[in-house]
Amino acid sequence: MSTTSFNENLRESAVFNLGNAVTMVVDDSAFGLDLTCEALRGFGIQTRYSCYSAADAIDILKDQTIDLLLVDCEMPGMDGHELVKWLRNSQLDPNAYVPVIMTAGHVRKSKVAAVRDCGANYLVTKPFSAASLLERLIWVARDSRPFLEVDDYKGPDRRFQTSVPREQNERRSDMIARVAFEAAKAEMATLVTPETA
Amino acid sequence: MMGLVLWQQRKSRLSAMIDQPGGCSVGVALAQAKSNLETMQAKSLGIIGERIAELAALPAPAIGDPDAGRSLARAYHLSSAVIDAAGPFELDDLCTVAAGLCDLIDAAPATWPFDWRIVTVHAQSMQLIMSLPPEAIDARIQVLDSLKQVLAKKIPTPQSEG
Repeated sequence: MSTTSFNENLRESAVFNLGNAVTMVVDDSAFGLDLTCEALRGFGIQTRYSCYSAADAIDILKDQTIDLLLVDCEMPGMDGHELVKWLRNSQLDPNAYVPVIMTAGHVRKSKVAAVRDCGANYLVTKPFSAASLLERLIWVARDSRPFLEVDDYKGPDRRFQTSVPREQNERRSDMIARVAFEAAKAEMATLVTPETA
Repeated sequence: MMGLVLWQQRKSRLSAMIDQPGGCSVGVALAQAKSNLETMQAKSLGIIGERIAELAALPAPAIGDPDAGRSLARAYHLSSAVIDAAGPFELDDLCTVAAGLCDLIDAAPATWPFDWRIVTVHAQSMQLIMSLPPEAIDARIQVLDSLKQVLAKKIPTPQSEG
């Protein structure tokens, strides 16, 4: 998971379509839940399932397929990160692989590792504006990181691909060969100049 | 040692639908979301006021009180609720004060009694910020600066220690 700012400017004219996304929002605060749902409604996304607890969410996730999950981090009983960890390990296909955005007003230091390792795609820390939420939503929809299962972790690859893909990146041995070739070519050119001829 | 790594390239249904025909532009979506949220601003201010009032009224637990941890958890929850309600409305000063209190409670050692004056002073600062007119920038800065000193004193960073 990442809290990185991608500095991706949202182009006002860019068009997106998430109107058919079956969306679930989980937040123990009724007002917090309403705020998130209203922001989503503005983006053209109708929240299909509003849940006030992880237990309510689990009941639905076992029966219904969803496309997007937004879950608050700090909840009484089963916490947001515990819900995501459960989901990733649930073997419910396709729900176990659904894009997950976690939201948090404040993350306790003792929970940072648990939140990072639960398998969510993104953590949005509050205060968040409608623009930052939309930016993360679009980013998560386009998130092409593979899913990993390693040790206790199940979720999107936590490493972000920032380097140039290998096929577009010159290998060091190729670079050495190219430099040697250029040097040999230059040497040949000096050998055939009229002065030396 | 790292165990077996299983790797799956999965394409979410969300990624398939985002570029389908229809939908709306980012500009329209943001305008709609802003308009939807604006209808909730008055309610938000009411909730913020209630949470701060409850925070200010929380009694300081007596030394050795076995329920002291519960009081502190309640203070943390209320402060975090202020961030939740204030967040979408650009009430950044309130969010800063509330986040500072959450940091202080989170950093408090479980074995020491928590200095409850910290909760009181943060609640009063939030009430003061709520009552200040938008143009009282200097007064806001003064409140935030004094709380920043409390934060630096109670949670020393390597720079402030040096």
